[in-house]
Amino acid sequence: MGLAGDATDSEVVRAVLGGEVERYAVLVRRYRDRYARYAARMLGSLDAGEDAVQDALVRAFDRLADCREPDKFAGWLFLILRNRCYAERRRRQREGRPLDERDDGVAAPDRPDGTLEQVERMRALERSLTHLTPEQREVFVLKHVEGLAYDEIAGRTGATVASLKMRMHRAYDRLRDLMKEHL
Amino acid sequence: MTLGYHPLVKRLLDGELSLAELPSELRAEGAEALRLVGAVDRTPLVLSPALDDRVMAVVRRHAASRGRRAWHWLTAARDVELRLRVRPVVWAGALAVAAGVALLLLARAPGSTPTVAPVALGGARDSVLVRFVLYAPGARHVAVAGTFNQWDRNAAPLVRAGTAGVWTTTLALPVGQHQYAFLVDGERWVSDPAAPAINDGFGRRNSMVAVTARGAHTL
Repeated sequence: MGLAGDATDSEVVRAVLGGEVERYAVLVRRYRDRYARYAARMLGSLDAGEDAVQDALVRAFDRLADCREPDKFAGWLFLILRNRCYAERRRRQREGRPLDERDDGVAAPDRPDGTLEQVERMRALERSLTHLTPEQREVFVLKHVEGLAYDEIAGRTGATVASLKMRMHRAYDRLRDLMKEHL
Repeated sequence: MTLGYHPLVKRLLDGELSLAELPSELRAEGAEALRLVGAVDRTPLVLSPALDDRVMAVVRRHAASRGRRAWHWLTAARDVELRLRVRPVVWAGALAVAAGVALLLLARAPGSTPTVAPVALGGARDSVLVRFVLYAPGARHVAVAGTFNQWDRNAAPLVRAGTAGVWTTTLALPVGQHQYAFLVDGERWVSDPAAPAINDGFGRRNSMVAVTARGAHTL
């Protein structure tokens, strides 16, 4: 087994399951920021995204014995985080406080590398994303923020490429309508 | 309501076409669409440095409470049930019939329930021999993986028992509840048809077996 920082996910998972609980910190450090953009965009704010990532990491520990393929821990963790994000959105719906434009904490502050117009457009897009359905929002974030191809998104989410494209194309139309004053 | 983008413009946004490949009458719409996706902020987000400590604090607490729960579970009085079941099922054509698991009590306290097939185990009273059987006549390789071997797909291969397509292995499992599944030819996961299964939350079924210091049974 390698040093703590060099160990593969599989090695760390086995060590944790073998009783070395502190080794889990390696996985926490490794993945804490990787899915931050996804969670923040799905939930509309950095704070909510951070809560989701934290919760997902704890849930992953609690269910680590169920991780059938420890070398694919990253994908397994993503599914837990994804479930957590959808559950949080459902909870908000039940409580009558869906994502709205006030939850635009993901939008970057003033960017030195952009014109005022570009910054405004960026913020408008962040706000507009909150008006998409969760499924449309997810595919848009994974493709255009995370830079994944459709087949990679299909591998992560279990959806077919055809259905992903349909969601995305509806998202394009919706965003065009929402962004018409900024394009 | 603004009209939606032309299908060719959507293909442009999907990266399947370039702006130059669009018909000239669609290039203005294409340029507008590119401004839209160009507004995506891909700046990496860095979460609070305190997140690591918060997660590990909860993890330590859960690990400790898990230990307490395990101790209570081990020390609580309970009935012991032994089962030997073989149940045919149809599985995926190639593996037409499968048979299940036989659980054999090994280490038992004096005076406990008689075992199905007593076998000595060097005095290890916290382990129980569990015999796994899978009927898989078309398989080239079968292994069993589960929580007892950290889902290591190489740790517990089954061997052919005769020529009838029966694969078997016997493992000494620690006391506790275990989830497991068979891995056929290194790629197909098969749950045990003779044992109850639970959804692992990700669309797959894990079989369940409980092992106590005085016996073992399917849940």
